[in-house]
Amino acid sequence: MSKSILLGCTSLTLLLAGCNATMNQRVLDTGDESQLQKRSYQTRVFDTSDKEKVMRGVISTLQDLSFVIERADMMLGTVSGTKFQNQLAIRMTVSVRPKGSNQMVVRANGQLNIKPIEDPKAYQDFYSSLEKSLFLTAQLGE
Amino acid sequence: MRNLVIVCSAAVLLAGCVTLPPNAFVVSQEQLARRQIETRRYDGIKEENLLIASSNVLQDMGFSLDNSETKLGLLSASKQRDATHGGEIAAAIIIALLGGGATPISKDQTIRVALVVRPVQATVDNTPVDGHFVRVTFQRIVRRTDNSTYAETLNEKELYEGFFEKLSKSVFLEAQKI
Repeated sequence: MSKSILLGCTSLTLLLAGCNATMNQRVLDTGDESQLQKRSYQTRVFDTSDKEKVMRGVISTLQDLSFVIERADMMLGTVSGTKFQNQLAIRMTVSVRPKGSNQMVVRANGQLNIKPIEDPKAYQDFYSSLEKSLFLTAQLGE
Repeated sequence: MRNLVIVCSAAVLLAGCVTLPPNAFVVSQEQLARRQIETRRYDGIKEENLLIASSNVLQDMGFSLDNSETKLGLLSASKQRDATHGGEIAAAIIIALLGGGATPISKDQTIRVALVVRPVQATVDNTPVDGHFVRVTFQRIVRRTDNSTYAETLNEKELYEGFFEKLSKSVFLEAQKI
C-alpha cells in the first residue's frame, strides 16, 4: 500500500512540475513547440478569393460547434467565440487573410480553461467541419 | 488501490491539467438538431433591416450591445441579472439545518447572446433567393454567493421559441416602418 502512495506522490510532483512555467513563458507562450510547428497545424489554405464567404463560414461552423460568437471584424478578418461544455470553457480566435489573389489563409487558435489547445487533432477536426460548411478543401501549408 | 486512485485524482486536480473533450470540434447530430432550434428564416427583408429589427428586440429584452460587425451580420450583447432560485435557497437551508454548513447558492448572472444573420445560399430560376437565416445562441455565467462561477449554454427550446416570436413581431414592425 505504501508503494502505491509513493507512486501517487511521485506522479503528483511530476504533474505539478510539468504544469509549471515561468512568467515570461506564460506571456510569450513558448512551450515545447516552435512557432513554426504551431502555425503549421493551426493554419489551412482555401482556394477562394471570397473573404466574406470564408468568414461567414467560420462563424456558422463555430455556431454549429455550440460556440457563442463574441466579436468579429471583417477588415481584420477575425472571429472570436466561447463555448461551455462539461464545466470547461473553450475559447477560439480564427483569422482569415488573403494569400495572393485567389487563396485565403485561415488560422485558428484556442484555449481550454487556462491552457492553450495544442492537440493538432482538435484543429484538424475544426478544419474538417469548416470544409463541410465552405464546400472547399482545406490545404496544408502556407 | 483505492488510495492510489484518490492520490492520482488529487494530483490531476491540483495540477489543473484539464484535457479537451474528444470530438470538441466535430459537429454532432445533436448539434445539428440545435441548429434547427436556434435558426429561423425570414424572407423579403434586407439583411440590414433584419439586423436593425434584431438589435431592437435585444434592446427590448434589456440587453446592451457589446460588439457588432454588420458586414458579417453579427450582433453580440449581454446583460446582468439576478440569479437567485427558490429551490436552491430551500435546499441550502435544509443542508444548513442538517449541520452541513453554508452552501454557496447562485447570486447573479451575466447572460450573453450572439445573433448572426446570413443570406440563404440558394437560387430559384437562377435568381438568388431573397431570404436570410437568423441564428441566435444564449449563454449564462452564474456567480454564487462564494464568488465561484459556473457557465452554461442555454438549451431550452421554449427560450428560443419565445425569442423568435418577439423577433417576428419586430421584423413585421420594421417592414411596416412602425
